[in-house]
Amino acid sequence: MLNDYISDLIPGGAEHTELRAQQTETVKVVLIGGNLVANQSGKAGGVCARVYKNGSWGFASCADYDEDSVKDVLNEARGNASFLDAKLNKGKPALPQTKPYFTAPPAPSPVLPRRLYVDFATELDAYIEKTYPRLSGRKVIVTSEKFEKLICASNGTKAHTVAPRVYVYVFLSADTKDGETLELFDVLNGGNGYFPDYFTDPMQYAERIDKLYHKLVDKTEGVFPKAGSADVILSSSMAGMLAHEAVGHTVEADLVLGGSVAGHMLGKQVAAPMVNMVDFAHTAFGKPCPLPVFVDDEGTECEDEILIKDGVLVGYMNNLESARHFGMTPRGNARAFAWGDEPLIRMRNTAVLPGRDKLEDMIASIDDGYYLISSGNGQADTTGEFMFGVTMGYEIKNGRLGRALRDFTISGVAFEMLKTVTMLSDEPGWDSSGYCGKKQPMPVCLGGPAVKCRVTVGGQ
Amino acid sequence: MKDIKEIASRVLEELKKAGADAAQCTVAHGKAKELNIDGGEISLMRTVLDNSISMKAIKDGKKGSASINQFDEASIAAAARECIEAADAAVVDDAVCIAELTQNAEFDVGAKEDDMDLFFDRITEFLDTVKTDYPKIMLEQVFSEYAETDTAVMNTNGVYHRLREAGYTLSTMFSAHEGEKATSFNGYEAQFGDLSRPLIGIGMQRTLFELSQKELDAQPLDGKFTGKILVAPTCLGEMVDAALDKFAGATELINGTAAWKDKLGQKVADEKLTVSIIPLDERISGGERITDDGYVSENFDMIRNGVLTDFGLSEYAARKTGNKRAPSTSSCMAIAPGDKTLDEIVKGIDKGLLVCRFSGGEPAVNGDFSGVAKNSFLIENGEIKHAVTETMISGNLEKMLNDIVAISKETVEDGASVLPYVLFDRITVS
Repeated sequence: MLNDYISDLIPGGAEHTELRAQQTETVKVVLIGGNLVANQSGKAGGVCARVYKNGSWGFASCADYDEDSVKDVLNEARGNASFLDAKLNKGKPALPQTKPYFTAPPAPSPVLPRRLYVDFATELDAYIEKTYPRLSGRKVIVTSEKFEKLICASNGTKAHTVAPRVYVYVFLSADTKDGETLELFDVLNGGNGYFPDYFTDPMQYAERIDKLYHKLVDKTEGVFPKAGSADVILSSSMAGMLAHEAVGHTVEADLVLGGSVAGHMLGKQVAAPMVNMVDFAHTAFGKPCPLPVFVDDEGTECEDEILIKDGVLVGYMNNLESARHFGMTPRGNARAFAWGDEPLIRMRNTAVLPGRDKLEDMIASIDDGYYLISSGNGQADTTGEFMFGVTMGYEIKNGRLGRALRDFTISGVAFEMLKTVTMLSDEPGWDSSGYCGKKQPMPVCLGGPAVKCRVTVGGQ
Repeated sequence: MKDIKEIASRVLEELKKAGADAAQCTVAHGKAKELNIDGGEISLMRTVLDNSISMKAIKDGKKGSASINQFDEASIAAAARECIEAADAAVVDDAVCIAELTQNAEFDVGAKEDDMDLFFDRITEFLDTVKTDYPKIMLEQVFSEYAETDTAVMNTNGVYHRLREAGYTLSTMFSAHEGEKATSFNGYEAQFGDLSRPLIGIGMQRTLFELSQKELDAQPLDGKFTGKILVAPTCLGEMVDAALDKFAGATELINGTAAWKDKLGQKVADEKLTVSIIPLDERISGGERITDDGYVSENFDMIRNGVLTDFGLSEYAARKTGNKRAPSTSSCMAIAPGDKTLDEIVKGIDKGLLVCRFSGGEPAVNGDFSGVAKNSFLIENGEIKHAVTETMISGNLEKMLNDIVAISKETVEDGASVLPYVLFDRITVS
């Protein structure tokens, strides 16, 4: 566990200062076609300081972590802030003071043998090879990460947090009758915790892999959708992607200041009245979120940020500086990825809230459209235009699922598309296995119910 | 701090003490200074002092890897034990290896600079020029970094390389605004060796600002067509790289799913296409000198006149698949220029699309792709017309590489690549 060399050095007062010591530990095991191509661990840590001076920020970080290096980074950060302040002379007032946040020291983390990860992956891989001889390829990837942070800020915050997360990904490939290779993947399980919390016996996941295999077989017999506008049901994970990519990024306050479309839309109707969206901090629907964040890297206690209420855009996600600019309350969205990274405005557990419809009724309500189940990736624009790669889906014909779909892309404009939402399922789901990219990578969680709406389909 | 050569020796000693039969490590110490711009204003100055050690060990025919960023003896010893624990947990694999001793080398790449006043002035000059010359452009987020790194690569076969490198990067994200009208954001990244010239003139930055301002008059595409797209250097590298990764990359070759697995020495693309990896080219800023495997890097061709000449594999992937190791593990790509000017190519297009950014899903293993053509313009009757909104392009990367109509004489250098404009046919635009 990290020693505390920072709390005695953090100054109080109006000049906002943060000190953060951090250690990130990773394990990655990758099997491709039965070959163990990666079997690696990583530990990276250090200390960083950030200082605000009249509207300019100075930041410094160092891989060494002891009393001397803490003093050095603090001095370097102050020097960088003073350098910019002297050049820019912005003359901005002090940042808002948030109430301090304290934690008890975290429990020690378990020390897990490497064999645990490698054996699980190789046993799972052997099962897949033996059970599904028709496959043309397979990949099994095990990842484990642990982010330990000691955060002290001039508002008095002193927090020591440990955030472990673990996932197992399986990719299967099979050939079409024309010899083209198609791939499909699934995140078997995982989330906040350590490897044995989720993975003990690979055979626990036999049924899940069987479903993945049969979807892949459907896909090899699949068709491309028709290009153009279509009625679709987005699964909960696709709805989560919508919440994150299409809406979430446009309401990050730094991107609003950079010219995002949401800058003109606060207080306006941006979605159908049934649509509500929240960036949850650590608890949602009465349960812990898959990516709980209790304090951010500016020392602000995390709270939920309501983004869309009854279809009206009501909030942005802020750091201290943007909250002052917009006259909003900072709710703990300033997050840094690595020990040497400065905090940026990032999402946490961003979700569309569920409605009252049943998924089967939603499918039955469409005569000619698509049920879109999983996505490989998504990208958004500050205009609200978004794009998701769809890796699994089915046609809907006369209210029933039809043929599977080959890989394709959907797109739309968030604040237009959200107005086309007519049904929301009553069951929310989460997907916490991905990263968001915005200068730094960042673990994020996205979620929602199944959503009936209209999007542009890129077919062939 | 000890010299990194001493630290590298220490790492190998600890790995051998822990039981390694063979071992290799890369030790680096780096310093970076960075300026950040948010919403058009300089916001933050950043200093990073970092260390890194990556190590791999082979024991009883099994490999383990570990990495840390601490140089103290206790951390090195603990990481070495963890590396061996990983090897013990692994399976025997004949393909695991460390670099053979061929030639040891030392390199100094890029001039070390530490003039923050000049760095600040160049950034301020860039911001002022954007305001003056491109008044509708909003710089959403920009960062520029100066980094210097000292790296040692050493192994138990006697390999010892040393690389001291320094250089700059500039990354911009921007859009154009007029009242409540706004364009899609665009981004650009370039590398450069020193501060001797204004940053605005690097690569395609000026062209992209001009195009973004024109994009304010974007219109939806009228209808759908299958035809020509002229891919700009800003997204050409990404598309060709995706094709090489899917059809000839290490992951798909080892998985047995690479479409070109049996096509080395055969025609895989139009004969006008030559794709080279050029880390040593003078147009590349701070290109790779030592491969990820620990060999001295060389330039090489992956596709020459449409024929696949190299898979671009690491030594492990090469041994695993029965191929040869690539002379470089760099991603610095050059595509050979063609024989027509950009103007001549545009004049020859009756209807097509100039694609400057592609926002798409990960291409499928078979090369099928679809996505949104961002920051893109309609070409009609030999002229670049208005920008288009919400326009999708779809096709297959393998077919696309065989449907090259023309390659421009002009190339764009961004310090990491040298790329022309390429005209492809038979792409669905909707």
